[in-house]
Amino acid sequence: MKRFSRMTAAALALVLLLSITGCGASDGKTHLTFQIWDVAQRASMEAICAAYTAKHPEVDIEVQVTNWTEYWTKLEAAAESNTMPDIFWMHTNQILYYADFGMLADVTDLYADEDPSYYQNHFSDISIGNASGSDGRLYGVPKDKDNLVLVYNKEMFDAAGVAYPDENWTWDDLVSASAQIYDKTGKYGYMAYNDDQMGYWSFVYQAGGCILTEDKTRAGFDQPGTRKGMEFYVGLQDYEWCPDQSYFAETAPGTAFFSGIGSMYIEGNWELMNKCVSFPDMNGKWDIAPMPKCPDPVSGDGRATISNGLCYSTAARGKTRDIALDVIKFFGTEEAQLLASSYGAAISAYNGTEQPYFDAFDKAGYDINVPILMDQFAYGVQNVNNAAKPKWKSPVLDELNKVYNGQQSLDSALDNMQNIIDTETAKKLADN
Amino acid sequence: MNRKLSAAARREENWGWIMVAPTIIGLGVLNIWPFIQTIYTSFCEHLGFGRYKFIGLGNYAEMLGNTEFWKATWNTIFFCILTVPVGVALALFVAILLNAKVKFKGGFRTLFFLPLVCAPAAVAMVWRWIFNGEYGILNQMLGQNIQWITNPRTAVIAVAIVSIWSSVGYDAVLLLAGLQNIPKTLYEANSIDGAGKIRQFFTITLPMVSPTMFSVLIMRLMASMKIYDLIYMMADETNPALTDMQSLMYLFYRSSFVAGERGYGSAIVVWTVGLILLVTLIQFWGQKKWVTYDI
Amino acid sequence: MKSMDSLHRSYAMAKFLTYFFLILGALIMVFPFAWMILTSSKTVAESLAVDPVVIFPAKWMLDNFKEAVASLPFGHLYWNTTLMVFFRVICAVLFSSMAGYAFAKLHFRGKNLLFGVVLIQMSLPSQIFIIPQYQMVAKMGMANTIFALVFPGLVSAFGVFFLRQTYMSIPDEVGEAAYLDGCNQWQTFYKVMFPLTGTSVAALTIFTAVFAYGDLMWPLVVNSDLKMMTLSSGLSTLKGQFTTNFPVLMAGSLLAMLPMIVLYLIFQRQFVEGIAGTGGK
Repeated sequence: MKRFSRMTAAALALVLLLSITGCGASDGKTHLTFQIWDVAQRASMEAICAAYTAKHPEVDIEVQVTNWTEYWTKLEAAAESNTMPDIFWMHTNQILYYADFGMLADVTDLYADEDPSYYQNHFSDISIGNASGSDGRLYGVPKDKDNLVLVYNKEMFDAAGVAYPDENWTWDDLVSASAQIYDKTGKYGYMAYNDDQMGYWSFVYQAGGCILTEDKTRAGFDQPGTRKGMEFYVGLQDYEWCPDQSYFAETAPGTAFFSGIGSMYIEGNWELMNKCVSFPDMNGKWDIAPMPKCPDPVSGDGRATISNGLCYSTAARGKTRDIALDVIKFFGTEEAQLLASSYGAAISAYNGTEQPYFDAFDKAGYDINVPILMDQFAYGVQNVNNAAKPKWKSPVLDELNKVYNGQQSLDSALDNMQNIIDTETAKKLADN
Repeated sequence: MNRKLSAAARREENWGWIMVAPTIIGLGVLNIWPFIQTIYTSFCEHLGFGRYKFIGLGNYAEMLGNTEFWKATWNTIFFCILTVPVGVALALFVAILLNAKVKFKGGFRTLFFLPLVCAPAAVAMVWRWIFNGEYGILNQMLGQNIQWITNPRTAVIAVAIVSIWSSVGYDAVLLLAGLQNIPKTLYEANSIDGAGKIRQFFTITLPMVSPTMFSVLIMRLMASMKIYDLIYMMADETNPALTDMQSLMYLFYRSSFVAGERGYGSAIVVWTVGLILLVTLIQFWGQKKWVTYDI
Repeated sequence: MKSMDSLHRSYAMAKFLTYFFLILGALIMVFPFAWMILTSSKTVAESLAVDPVVIFPAKWMLDNFKEAVASLPFGHLYWNTTLMVFFRVICAVLFSSMAGYAFAKLHFRGKNLLFGVVLIQMSLPSQIFIIPQYQMVAKMGMANTIFALVFPGLVSAFGVFFLRQTYMSIPDEVGEAAYLDGCNQWQTFYKVMFPLTGTSVAALTIFTAVFAYGDLMWPLVVNSDLKMMTLSSGLSTLKGQFTTNFPVLMAGSLLAMLPMIVLYLIFQRQFVEGIAGTGGK
């Protein structure tokens, strides 16, 4: 009996203890949480937080990393119960959904006191677009800008006697180089897998097509340029030098590339530093080139690369809203953006703060042709989004999957994809 | 006298309520209330961020007309067929082997039971690697080139294999306990009759172990109907076989969590729970026909 | 004589088949573990070699383990998992014993209805609770704490169901004798009845611990701070980071599984026999 009651008492005491340790420390500081999804950027984010807290010792900011998938599950649940993190990253996939529902603080006038057109003076139109809601106002301070590049294995090109890709490369060169490398070395050529941003989107825009029309109310899968890009991209898996989609479902193209199995794939620049650090043995054996261009586009000059960008946001009704706004205001300054760039993980969005990103590769001794990233911004295409994107993103991917596994033709998939996006978008517009 | 008894009864009643209170309050807040909300939202359209619009039976109509939904229902049933009859039969076989007079019985039992104490996340990871179409050891051993996890025809089977591998030892241990409770004298009396081993199995072993078998079947069926974790860990969004392997609860996850269609996702949950209750009822009704509580 | 001989031969045959299938089964059970250990010591290139496949790594090395340890704070993960398991077990045993006893031995109005609540909970899929429970924890300001990890395990419907069976198998006379000795219902419960359920409580402890240890989705959603994660959710983070670098993933998995396997090997008798008791009759 004594044992049991003692056990009960101890258990209750421990539960009590648990709840106490859960409460914040009482050191008089304001404690903010800053939620991000990329482990590789933890260091740079902590650095800019430290820069802020050095000036404001009464504030303490903790950076927390959550996996991409759970990040959005949590953020939405938190938004509903008004318990969002104080500061968090926002992505173009989701910003319209959050902004249109009034979940994000409007930061359009954040810098009104010093410069009413601060954003226009220091950030590109794409960066501003990526941080804007459907009403054209800003719901985040632009954090970074990125684009996609062709990553290639120099040794395999040498072995096959093929010249390295350059800015004049076209789709035809991509195909013929892939074939030659496969014939000579047995390694895969360009690894084209089923993905939107990292896959077919760039090719569609290169061919003069579009995923969404200018006003974002309709899909563009019925347009000739889009069809051309899709036919080319999806057709790549028919070549024997490209693995099929079942292969990619188990082995990511990046993994195949860095384990010496394939010679080319498309990567976002935000991953480059991480790849350099993770695969030191490959140093000097690979490089990057601009995206190949479409030789005979339906319209335009055949060049395009999807350019995305994240932003720093805070909740519209957060308890610490004013302090959080002050923090993200600092994150949008030249000082903070220069500092974030210097870690080589992402190119800061603020115009003129790009150089430290490029220098970071030199400093660490990685010989990568990063300056081409800068040239590519000239023909960057803003990452595709509209308010209904969270609803149509995975159904559209599913439709294309059915083409890859032979369950339907590309024509019927394009019809269905058009249909899904149009229906969801119309539904969204009707709801608002 | 009468009043005293009712006072005692009232005291007993108070104690009863006090002692179940923590559990009932906990279950009510943590589970039952969310479930009631789920039932309600199945009649609503989710506008975003927890705002709902009542639409009546709209989600159910959409669900019943959707081929993906019927596919997921079939996948779940197929998975149950693979894991419940096949899995439990295998477990019974293992239990009978372990019940024989063998050396290292404890050692064997330890090994068969081992998967239970392993984190499913780790188990899924190693099996994914074994099943890998290109580099997996399984294809190397079989000399085959089967895309286990990404081929629509084998994907469910691959998941079922992992599920059986994880649970066969656990089920076998339960059944073994049932087997060991069978009095030896029953067999002795029977062997004097000259009955063969096979007949013995059907006339003595099976009836005597049937109550344990029944509870194993119920537990396994409930778990299999709710299958989700393994698929979540073994398949990625880019898997071309995803629609051919996703279970009802995985479809719920994709609808509610990924696409934000919580009304539709809730309708799937209500359907799944209804299905679980139905098969459980059928089993309880059917047990009268084959489960022997006395011999 | 001849019939004795054939009987003997069929006996030997049965013996051979028994061992054959047992050993075959054991090999299948152990194989994934063996493959995990072998892979964890390979280089990525060795792990991806197909022609011929590399079974044993050229050099037994710990680099992959070092990399896994560098990416995950294993010390925290072990500690958090231990605390989560400990508190979930305490709560499950304490509350389930009380409710199990009441459902089995006491008469009170609404008993059947309330027990129905327990049964219903057991048939509900746990994924539907994640968002509502997360919102409760967030509202309390308790996200990223040990309490958050324990939260869904504060009460256990399975525990109540299982311990009710146990209390029902204890004869009513035991309780009546105590009652006549002057104990009230609570005293009868903790002085007399609870001590009789030792093996079942042990079984519930093991069951709860194994289940809590394997729980993945909840810890992943509720605790985003890497230092507040459990082994299972930490492992999933590792997967996000190394995608298909299987040697590191296998090393991480081994590290995550090690404590439970060691515990199991030490207490395997108690584990297996405890679980055998959860089957019910």
